[in-house]
Amino acid sequence: MNIASLILVLLFHHSFAAEFDSSKPVELKGTVTRIDWVNPHAWIYLDVKDDAGKVTSWGCELGSPNLLMRNGWRRDSLKAGDIVVVSGSQAKDGSKIANARTVRLGDGTRVFNAGSSGDAPR
Amino acid sequence: MILQLVDRIGGLKPWLNGRGLPLKNEISRQGNSTYTCVRITVYHSAQFMKFLLLGFLVIILISSPSFAQWLDFRTAGIPRTPDGKPNLTAPTPRMADGKPDLTGIWVADTSKYLGNLAADSGPVPFQPWAEKVYEERRANLGKDDPEARCMPQGVPKVNTLPYPFKIFQLPGETVILYEMFYLYRQIFTDGRQLPTEFVNPSWMGYSVGKWDDDDFVVETAGMNEQFWMDTNGHPHTDQLRVTERFKRKDFGHMEVEVTIDDPKAYTKPWMATIKQHLLPDTELLEFVCEKNLDPAHLVGK
Repeated sequence: MNIASLILVLLFHHSFAAEFDSSKPVELKGTVTRIDWVNPHAWIYLDVKDDAGKVTSWGCELGSPNLLMRNGWRRDSLKAGDIVVVSGSQAKDGSKIANARTVRLGDGTRVFNAGSSGDAPR
Repeated sequence: MILQLVDRIGGLKPWLNGRGLPLKNEISRQGNSTYTCVRITVYHSAQFMKFLLLGFLVIILISSPSFAQWLDFRTAGIPRTPDGKPNLTAPTPRMADGKPDLTGIWVADTSKYLGNLAADSGPVPFQPWAEKVYEERRANLGKDDPEARCMPQGVPKVNTLPYPFKIFQLPGETVILYEMFYLYRQIFTDGRQLPTEFVNPSWMGYSVGKWDDDDFVVETAGMNEQFWMDTNGHPHTDQLRVTERFKRKDFGHMEVEVTIDDPKAYTKPWMATIKQHLLPDTELLEFVCEKNLDPAHLVGK
């Protein structure tokens, strides 16, 4: 097991590699439309506008609310209307969903990171 | 309302009465109603105003940290260093009979063994069919793991999760609550033996525990075949018997030494040691696996 899978297995109750393709990174800049604060994964939904002005809705999977809360985040740490940049990996099946490795606000501040250092709660 | 809150905070009423404050407080329950009725009779208004002010102050002081759903609530009875931090290298606490007290909230140091229980075990003595199943599951990147469908992790996988568990060491049984997926185990220490036949195999099995010097030794059998022992997919059968030796090394550290004995899947028993650490000043959170969007996208390779 390499380091990357070690870190990722922490956040998921399922095999990361069976769902997402880490060799196909995505960077999504968009407006938050909804936050689902629910186990086993919190999700944020984004409207992403391409260069031609076409809007696509993306779902981005985060760690569980429990891990996020133990890392100091709350359900209202991010709100609908916030503009964020999500870096992650797209689903292998081509769906417009991604695993969110990082979520950053416009000023670069990171939100909703949970245990991405690979540590269990301490 | 205010007095009701003060009463919930507890301990104030005797203190107030001891100071001659004229408080008469009756709490009654009506039928099965969960409403609590507080009736107050006050004889001297000036003293009552003092009491009200005190009540407000206490409420403000005590309620401010509670917004975090007990995530940061100070655990009583933990040895602390002079600066108030938990002393996690203090000696192992002990029960009246001298045995270690395992009570507390624990979590695995690493998720390595959740991915692969045999990560540090050397070659696993598979039966040929079990090795074939294991290699198939790995080749499919673990896409069919029942845990990804919110099914219970079973034993011993519950010891490897990145979510805490809470041990209650009671007379006659030790109870463990697992945060993830809301699971529990009852480990009977009243001298009963494991059944020899299991008509109702279960996810978490049947467990009995006893002490071997300072190790709490738990034997578990009667598990179903529906869970995987790790994300990689180490298989087992209904013959699986798991021995867990809980070794509390000091106040903040514990090892769970696991022995897998399943002659139908493995030619001989094999072991793994999962280190745990105490999580002080927190509580378990609810984790119902209620909205699982993953299975539809678990495609494997």
